[in-house]
Amino acid sequence: MGADALLKLHHLHLELPDGTALLEDVSLTVRRGDALGVVGESGSGKSLTAMSVMGLLPGLKASGSIGFEARELLGMKDREWRRLRGAGMAMIFQDPMTAFLPVRSIGAQIDEQIRLHERVSRREARARTVALLGRMGVPDPEAAAKRYPHQLSGGLRQRAMIAMALSCGPALLIADEPTTALDVTVQAQILTLLCEIRDSGAGVMLITHDMGVVAQTCTHVAVVYSGLVVEQGPVAAVMARPLHPYTQALLEAIPPLDGPRPDALPSIPGRPPAPDARPEGCVFAPRCRFVRPDCAVRPALREPEEGRRVACVLYDA
Amino acid sequence: MTILLEAKNLSKQYRLSHGQTLRAVSDVSLVVHRGEALALVGESGCGKSTLGRTLIGLGAPSSGDVFFEGERISGLSDRALRRWRPRMQMVFQDSSSTFNPRRTIGETLAEPMRIHGRTGIAERIAALLEQVGLSSSVLSRYPHEFSGGQRQRLNIARALMLGPDLLVADEPTSALDVSVQAQIVNLLRELRNSLGVACVFISHDLAVVRQMADRIAVMYLGRIVEEGDVLAVLQAPAHPYTRALLNAVPRPDRPLPPPLKGDVPSPIHPPQGCAFHTRCPLAQPRCAQERPEPHRIVEGRTVACHYPLL
Ligand SMILES: Nc1ncnc2c1ncn2[C@@H]1O[C@H](COP(=O)(O)OP(=O)(O)OP(=O)(O)O)[C@@H](O)[C@H]1O
Ligand SMILES: Nc1ncnc2c1ncn2[C@@H]1O[C@H](COP(=O)(O)OP(=O)(O)O)[C@@H](O)[C@H]1O
Ligand code: SF4
Ligand code: SF4
Ligand SMILES: [Mg+2]
Ligand SMILES: [Mg+2]
Repeated sequence: MGADALLKLHHLHLELPDGTALLEDVSLTVRRGDALGVVGESGSGKSLTAMSVMGLLPGLKASGSIGFEARELLGMKDREWRRLRGAGMAMIFQDPMTAFLPVRSIGAQIDEQIRLHERVSRREARARTVALLGRMGVPDPEAAAKRYPHQLSGGLRQRAMIAMALSCGPALLIADEPTTALDVTVQAQILTLLCEIRDSGAGVMLITHDMGVVAQTCTHVAVVYSGLVVEQGPVAAVMARPLHPYTQALLEAIPPLDGPRPDALPSIPGRPPAPDARPEGCVFAPRCRFVRPDCAVRPALREPEEGRRVACVLYDA
Repeated sequence: MTILLEAKNLSKQYRLSHGQTLRAVSDVSLVVHRGEALALVGESGCGKSTLGRTLIGLGAPSSGDVFFEGERISGLSDRALRRWRPRMQMVFQDSSSTFNPRRTIGETLAEPMRIHGRTGIAERIAALLEQVGLSSSVLSRYPHEFSGGQRQRLNIARALMLGPDLLVADEPTSALDVSVQAQIVNLLRELRNSLGVACVFISHDLAVVRQMADRIAVMYLGRIVEEGDVLAVLQAPAHPYTRALLNAVPRPDRPLPPPLKGDVPSPIHPPQGCAFHTRCPLAQPRCAQERPEPHRIVEGRTVACHYPLL
């Protein structure tokens, strides 16, 4: 991929000590100034992918490659990973309460995060915290910094968590379902903020199960199904003409907001396989309407068109 | 169309520990016709669940009345309500917590009929399982052995056991993935058509609501701000809040619109005048002082706004 690739996962594979593969084969790229949406159903492996990049999965065996700014992260020592978290990469979660301690003000926690990575005075750190909260659209940031997490609304807590994640200027921001617990009107505010962060030059990896969120926030998308990336490409192209039958079915299952109302929504029969019961061939085969004999061999991720990748026999030349 | 259920000036307040009062539902009037699906939509905390529960007598209203087939059911004792219970049933969002983990599915499904002394339980269970798309092999299994989508099917089957006339479904698809959500939405629509059961469908997802409902009631801070035919309202909302809610739905086919400012105010201290005036892009001075009452602007459309968009 291009020289500006910030994060590149290549055949990332993750297994439990008993040999069960939680992630089979995840390959994806995030460039600077791009936002990659990672979509898939519950249990498909989105969060595990994010946690692998952050080096937060002790006890699971990872293989393949995680390239970040020309370094290989797999096999790195904990100490090196800790240094990378904060200034190199940072993560935000669905529930901001998990990112903050309940007993200290959010400002104190952001100050501390800044001082962990840089030698600045308390005063300077606080000034930066307040400026950051302000940039995140927190009203009256000075007063907000003195509040405890539970004293803020869900939307403000999410902004505070994003401020903390950005406090050391990470090159990569990973957001795991950051708006799933929020109302749509507040979600729209947070998504706007993520777009601004992306436009300021950071790489963003946005994990979500909502195709609409991807379409409105991301430049690229990777579709994950049962621990594999099955399709990847520029958002506009994938939305306009999804290649993989699973991507097609996911988009069709969204009820329309205008136009004629269908009697029944196209739905995907069945459900995704458990990690220890994946079919041998294409993992989507039991639910796929195009299944044919050669699907019994697992298709590799190929690039049938410039910039678009898909793992499906329909596109094998 | 005959009216099945009617609520008149319904309010529900919760007394909080510090002597404060939380107005969860304020002065709501609505009707549900026989066989119809009415959707209640709005952001979290706007009072949808409280209203849904109050409508079917799970918790007494603080004031106002509910009528079922013309008879007043609000304010009745639990004993007096018992006669009405089989006619109104509820389906919840989190289907895992509504099943007793130590009981088989068969025992759980039989329970409502047993409580109400009905016979022919086995036949009824078999018929309903077929209708919700499950095989009778599920009967000897336990709740944890099912996926979220399957549990929601079981939940629906249980709610239908007594042959209710009204189903209140509180976010029945919100915990499900899109592909499974589509299955459940289709199932609920089929059941409504085949059984003629009326439905109060609570959801924050406007696309799902459009697919499911005949009429929609949009709530903000405990009040219904707009009500009408679901396709008409979503095609051309008349209340600024309905429009904002609709705009905020992320869709694959359009860019992110400028978001609405601020958060939903606290229901403990709701704003004076129009409760939406603190966030409304169209607010005028009058909106902060005078509360707009719901009024009909065109046939079949009621709006509580001084300056409706239609
Ligand atoms: N520490 C763990 N030990 C064993 N299995 C795990 C562990 N963490 C996750 N899994 C399993 O790995 C699979 C992928 O999990 P993951 O949390 O990445 O899913 P996800 O795509 O983020 O789903 P969701 O949308 O529900 O957040 C699931 O089957 C999950 O049960
Ligand atoms: N048992 C209760 N005691 C006190 N407050 C409650 C109770 N149930 C709900 N509320 C409050 O009432 C308001 C409406 O709640 P609810 O009906 O659950 O909203 P929705 O279903 O629209 O999210 C919220 O502010 C909620 O916190
Ligand atoms: S490989 Fe076969 S089963 Fe898999 S998605 Fe393609 S057509 Fe369907
Ligand atoms: S009454 Fe005023 S503030 Fe309320 S919705 Fe209408 S225009 Fe907006
Ligand atoms: Mg997850
Ligand atoms: Mg609710």
